[in-house]
Amino acid sequence: MVNLRRTIRREMWYILFLVPGVLLFTFAVIVPFATGIRYSFTNWDGISRKLTYIGWDNYVNALQDPDLWTVLGNTFKYAIMLTLLVNAISLLFALLLDSYLPLRNLFRTIFFLPSVISVVLAGFIWSYNYSQGFPRLLSYLGLDMTSPLGNPDHALIGLVIIAVWQGVGAPMIIYIAGLQGIPSELTESARIDGAGPFRVFRSVTLPLLAPSVTINMLLVLTGSLKVFDLVLVTTNGGPGFATEVIATFIYKNAFNSYKAGYGMALSLIFFVILVIVTVVQVSIFRKREVEM
Amino acid sequence: MNKKLSLGLIIAMLVVLLAACGGNKKENAASPTTPASASDSPATESASVPASEPAEPITISFMHFKSDATDGIAKIVEQFEAENPNIKVDVQPVKFDDYDTLLKTKLASGDIVDVFTLNSGGKTKLFKDGGYIEDLTDQEFMKTFDPGVLADQTTDGRNYIMPLNAGPIAVFYNKKIFSDLNIDIPTTYDALIAAAQKIKDAGKTPFALGWKDGWPLGMWLSRDFPSNTVLVEKQTDFFDKLEKGQAKFADNPATKTVIAHALDMFKYGNKDQLGVDYNGAVDLFAREEAAMMYMGTWPLPDIEKKNPDLYANGMGYFPYPFSNDPTLNKLEFNPDASIAVNSKSEHKEAAFKFLAYLASVPAANTWVENVKTLTYVKGASTDIAPAVTALKPYFDNGQLYNSQVYITTTIDWNTQFSQYVQKVFFKKATPDQIIKDLDDWVSKNHK
Repeated sequence: MVNLRRTIRREMWYILFLVPGVLLFTFAVIVPFATGIRYSFTNWDGISRKLTYIGWDNYVNALQDPDLWTVLGNTFKYAIMLTLLVNAISLLFALLLDSYLPLRNLFRTIFFLPSVISVVLAGFIWSYNYSQGFPRLLSYLGLDMTSPLGNPDHALIGLVIIAVWQGVGAPMIIYIAGLQGIPSELTESARIDGAGPFRVFRSVTLPLLAPSVTINMLLVLTGSLKVFDLVLVTTNGGPGFATEVIATFIYKNAFNSYKAGYGMALSLIFFVILVIVTVVQVSIFRKREVEM
Repeated sequence: MNKKLSLGLIIAMLVVLLAACGGNKKENAASPTTPASASDSPATESASVPASEPAEPITISFMHFKSDATDGIAKIVEQFEAENPNIKVDVQPVKFDDYDTLLKTKLASGDIVDVFTLNSGGKTKLFKDGGYIEDLTDQEFMKTFDPGVLADQTTDGRNYIMPLNAGPIAVFYNKKIFSDLNIDIPTTYDALIAAAQKIKDAGKTPFALGWKDGWPLGMWLSRDFPSNTVLVEKQTDFFDKLEKGQAKFADNPATKTVIAHALDMFKYGNKDQLGVDYNGAVDLFAREEAAMMYMGTWPLPDIEKKNPDLYANGMGYFPYPFSNDPTLNKLEFNPDASIAVNSKSEHKEAAFKFLAYLASVPAANTWVENVKTLTYVKGASTDIAPAVTALKPYFDNGQLYNSQVYITTTIDWNTQFSQYVQKVFFKKATPDQIIKDLDDWVSKNHK
């Protein structure tokens, strides 16, 4: 009995320290989420002070909206390209920088640097590069280049390049950490058994790196599905909707078109899509992980 | 015992912390009226203030979308603060493309901006209907403005915004390129395009276009389209009907005209139009690589800095000929940033004082000198730049029109239209397709 009371008294501490966090979470996440759900059932224009409930109309309209499917297509195209590229490139860098490369700390810093600056700044830098810097540089070589961001066929690729440039840093660090967690005895014994470097990588390193792959794939994919700032500062969805992604689409509906209620409904649909993507992806990749 | 004591202490600290957080707002709001802060105000300054002035320093916030005119506005504010030592103005410049969103978010979340800029028309009506803006009709300072512009800017018969600056929006041209190629100033649309062809044949860029930013294309579109709709096609009630869902873009021949005009612009523009932003276009014009630029007067300070010679005598300005009937092609002239006062403002008196100052001749002159646009304040200077003096005959003969009063919609069709037109530029859609898409978009979003 005395023991129990002592335990409770000891646990009280933890609960006390949890209180501010829980309060913050409630007011900053749960309450806005709940009011958001409420708004999604109204035709609120974002300015007026009265709400009119219109039931499921917003959701029905959204699912019948061909634009929604176009922007979802753009979003997934961008996200899948980015996820594959970022992971391939950062894994490559990690393998290089984990080996005995001279100046590897310097290179690690260099590759990580772009992740430090803000996305908005990166967007400005690259808009300038694309429209002024590169064309001028290439004109010395007699080549003619126009900004990919100004052409609907290339704009999405242009964005992916910026995002890759900025996005390889963090996954690279995670991969390096993962690589360093692999015991060298395993790779050594594989080598003694006669495996070449590629074979060692495929049969030993990659399976043991699976947890890092899972987390990186997940982080990059969900992060790139939610892309907003980069698109807004570089192309604002243009030219001709070629780079309109779901986040900017929601933003434009809610603010430019004065349809905050509809925008909320779209965000909730997007939320559900994100949850599904995350769950499916994690379950697929978790299966491939091996225990050491 | 010791533990209990420290536990109690921590709880007490937490309570204090929470109370401090909660009470913070109230304290801040109350502080301007507390006697303590009143005594803080410099005694030397308050001596020069008339007795009727309130003794507490007040800060009013002023948010505007003329971020390219930040320096000029800072000068006006400086003068105002010197005359009213008790009022401080917190100026918040915002880029035009982001302005509406930020303003709406601030108002909706109860963050009060005391004074802000608004454009007349549908948007003012939305804010008026939401009860966010003060009725300015009976204010003394409104009398300094031309009654005609006040009549243009009414919302439901009252004035909720004060017109401030005004400007022609027309075509800057490079005099040297024009005279080298023997081009006269075009007075019809066909002549404009013929001139563009001549310039292109000579290996120069006819139009400097910075369409990477949303607003330059949007600005051109929102002038060419209503002008053609109302003046050429005589569909005077098109926008009223569009607002009510009774008119279609497909039934308005001006829609096709404006798309064709946009394609011409695109064809005769600098390369990579959608990769170059507004500043890039001004740069092209200032470097004399492009012969023409459709724009308001606001790039003038920039051009003066980059190419003083061009600014002083190398460039002219002519009305944009949107049609082939020279009598219709008058000079586009309309208000730009108009000022509104928040009806929830705690410092309305100070805000009105600020507006009254903006409406005064010295402030208007500072504005004209530094921002290089005209104002509606009677008696203010009109001497803004050599290029603009070329427009004097149009002012003298009253050959002015304001395309913006035709637009009576609260629907933001313009942004959508700009994006659709870009699809046509890159042959992703035909004009007929985008007209249909535009109608679908309006009917879907504004039932």
